[in-house]
Amino acid sequence: MLTYILRRLGLAALITILAVTLLFLIIHMIPGDPVSTMLGPKASPELRAALEARMGLDKPLPVQIGLFFANMLRGDLGMDVFTNRPVTTIVLGQIPYTLVLILSSILWSAVLGIALGCYSAVNRNSLGDRLAGVLSVSVIAVPAFVVSLYSLLIFAVKLQWFPAIGAGEPGAWGDQFHHLILPSLAIGLSWVGYIARLVRASMLEVMGEGHVRTARAFGLPERWITYRYALRLAILPTVTVIGVGMGFLLSAAVFTEIVFSRPGLGKLVIDSITTRNYPVVMGSVLFSTLIFVASTTLADIINAILDPRIRAGK
Amino acid sequence: MAVLDIRDLSVSYSTPRGSLRALRNVSMTVPEGKIVGIVGESGCGKSTLISSIIRLMAPNAQVGSGEVRFKGTDLLARSEAEMRALRGTEISMVFQDPMQTHNPVLTVGQQMVDIQYRDKKPKAEKLKRAAEMLALVGIPDPEARLNQYPFEFSGGMRQRIAIAMALMARPALLIADEPTTALDATLEVQIIKRLKELQDEIGCGVLFISHHLGVIAELCDEVVVMYAGEVVESGTVRDVFHNPAHPYTAALLDCDPGHIKVKTRVLPTIPGNIPDLVNLPKGCIFADRCDKRHKACDTRPALWTARAGHRAACHLIAEKETA
Amino acid sequence: MTDTAIVLPRARSELGEILYHLVRDPLGLAGLIIVVAIVGSALLAPWIAPYDPVAMNIPDRLQGPNAAHLLGTDQIGRDTFSRVIWGGRVALKVALPTIAGAIVFGLLLGMIAGYGPKWLDSLIVLLFDTLRSFPTVMFALAVVALVGPSLNTVIFVIMVTSIPTYGRVVRTLTQSIKQSEFITAELSLGATVPRIMGIHILPNVLGPLAVLAAMDIPTVVGLEAGLSFLGMGVKPPTPSWGVLLSDGYALIRNTPWLIIAGGIPLILTTLGFTFLGEALRDVVDPKLRGKGGK
Repeated sequence: MLTYILRRLGLAALITILAVTLLFLIIHMIPGDPVSTMLGPKASPELRAALEARMGLDKPLPVQIGLFFANMLRGDLGMDVFTNRPVTTIVLGQIPYTLVLILSSILWSAVLGIALGCYSAVNRNSLGDRLAGVLSVSVIAVPAFVVSLYSLLIFAVKLQWFPAIGAGEPGAWGDQFHHLILPSLAIGLSWVGYIARLVRASMLEVMGEGHVRTARAFGLPERWITYRYALRLAILPTVTVIGVGMGFLLSAAVFTEIVFSRPGLGKLVIDSITTRNYPVVMGSVLFSTLIFVASTTLADIINAILDPRIRAGK
Repeated sequence: MAVLDIRDLSVSYSTPRGSLRALRNVSMTVPEGKIVGIVGESGCGKSTLISSIIRLMAPNAQVGSGEVRFKGTDLLARSEAEMRALRGTEISMVFQDPMQTHNPVLTVGQQMVDIQYRDKKPKAEKLKRAAEMLALVGIPDPEARLNQYPFEFSGGMRQRIAIAMALMARPALLIADEPTTALDATLEVQIIKRLKELQDEIGCGVLFISHHLGVIAELCDEVVVMYAGEVVESGTVRDVFHNPAHPYTAALLDCDPGHIKVKTRVLPTIPGNIPDLVNLPKGCIFADRCDKRHKACDTRPALWTARAGHRAACHLIAEKETA
Repeated sequence: MTDTAIVLPRARSELGEILYHLVRDPLGLAGLIIVVAIVGSALLAPWIAPYDPVAMNIPDRLQGPNAAHLLGTDQIGRDTFSRVIWGGRVALKVALPTIAGAIVFGLLLGMIAGYGPKWLDSLIVLLFDTLRSFPTVMFALAVVALVGPSLNTVIFVIMVTSIPTYGRVVRTLTQSIKQSEFITAELSLGATVPRIMGIHILPNVLGPLAVLAAMDIPTVVGLEAGLSFLGMGVKPPTPSWGVLLSDGYALIRNTPWLIIAGGIPLILTTLGFTFLGEALRDVVDPKLRGKGGK
């Protein structure tokens, strides 16, 4: 188990390094440069040169990348152009909002999706199964930011059940929860359908396997077979999908944060782009990549805990 | 008394093409403490028969008629809960493919403890019982291996585990569905030997399905030959294998490589295919492929008695008697 | 997700047959109708749209649906229905090159990985894993921050992050086909690798790729709309569904119609292509049934 975790963490580190390098290269290749982004096209050459030197952009590319990594390991992602606060501090201050949003969305949608999927698989072709199927496809069909806008329109503007703006007063749990409901609903909704379909399909596959027949032939209670023998296996692809899905959730969170004017990584990026605050943009992108890599790694490790065959590398 | 007595059992599947009559008027018995073999090609109804006995049938299967009497009571009349109480306690099964038999993410020990869920014993005792059973089927160092997962065992080992699980509750009837087909020959001999020893000790009846005639001859007391959903011949192993009364049995024996004494370049086969079970032929079910086909075969033969305890569904027997 | 697929060799003339099976499946038929309607109205926008999508008409501003304006008008009196129809063009303009590019690169890299030596395979898989680890929207925003909002930026970023989706499927399929006996036979008869790629692997991979592409179009269209909504994609006054939603968001307390009108084509696109993709999958490869998706 430990060797598996170590190997997986090594891979994650490698991917992070590659991703950051690739990001660097792509940014370097495309037209447009951070200095003119920050200073505007009409800046004087002296000013440009000064900023380039301060950001290390006058050095050759490999040195830049090396410097970047060295700084990154020290937690130094540069300074905010306006406030001169460290980018790391600013980004870390926003991450909890985004993480709470994403994790709450995945939590409720996974619980509901798995329950629906199990129900559909156990009662295959029943009326409930068909209803769940139609429901799943319908919610998958609505992009998260459209759900955000529609729910904002219906529940915040028209019905006024929920607040339309912000994340609630700091420290006031009830208020924060109240503010979380609509954004979380918007992001999680399509995942309910997606997970339900995935779980249904893999449950049906597992329920047809030989070991389930064996369990039945030994008279094990059907409930036991479903949840202890079949679901445990059927859940494996779902865990992977949720891990990879964190990327989609991060994207969805950007839109939702904007729609609900909610603090978080997405809002930070958009605000920083409008103010041409380039280091903050890069810092946020970097952290969201880290979150993504961490979540896929975590999903693989959870799968290894659930499935001894993965642990053994079979 | 017979531990299993199947009478006149007919089972069909509803398919888009119509009703597929997988079993038709099948009767057979497994006497207490005896091993009865069932032989037949794939598609002969073996699997349907087994699933009808333990009542784990496909959703589109229907029992048309008949009884499956276990220790004198009809299983088909039992409720699902009553039926479940029998499975794994009074009636146990060993399946064909040992690689698919066990749950891949639970330890062998856990699965062997799970099937004892009816006993109100502490878990340690159940584990001890599981280890005893593993030792009995010839798995070395059983205590340690209880903590391992199925994928850490070879196919032969897994089948031994399956047998250990099946016999753990000392059932009255063991159904073994081609338990050695997926294994290589040396393993097959070992496992058959062990199964026979254990059966002797427990004294259970065994219904042993195989298409390997050598194994049936080695292991079984009686044999039932099935073809296209019907019993075509039944009797003691000695009678059936030495004096086959049905042309199909004779052809099967001719095709068995272990049976061929003369050196040959071409292995014999039975020409033709099994009939369509949705549109059954009117007469004898085997007539199309039979080399002894004659006029009488246009009508369905009854199960005639060739000699005491040896019966076959062929007109030739009746004709021999009257001739 | 779609890692298990062994596709039998199939002839080229099956396009008609595939279409026949699609139309027989009610879901496939519904999907096909929706897709044809969306694509058709986008292509025929200059003739179908009742108004110029960018023509101002201040006296008629902020109307609800009525006979003259089916979906009402926006804050400067532009006809929403016309803008929805023209918005389909933008969606297609982004989706087609993006997916075509991702397929081409995915095919190339996937076939090399699936057929080439082990080290190259590992390298390409690592590249896929890396590309996949960029959250698409964040990545797009980083690029936009430097070069400014544009359609091409959106296309480039979504394409790059989509390559792994196609590449991984191509790689798995190539591997399974490569190991099949008919390839071994061909090789022993002296067939060259390009010949095997072109004649055996490519046709077998195209079906699953088509399914994947159909499923992927809504994602791409949604991303374009989303980025345009954020003001990071298509620039106003170009009518994009995202721009419509953005206008609607600004006026959410004045009129609900812009948001409703901007969201519906996105929902329909997703429904149509998802239905079509699933029906196509059932036709192309029944083994994949119930898998895949996002």
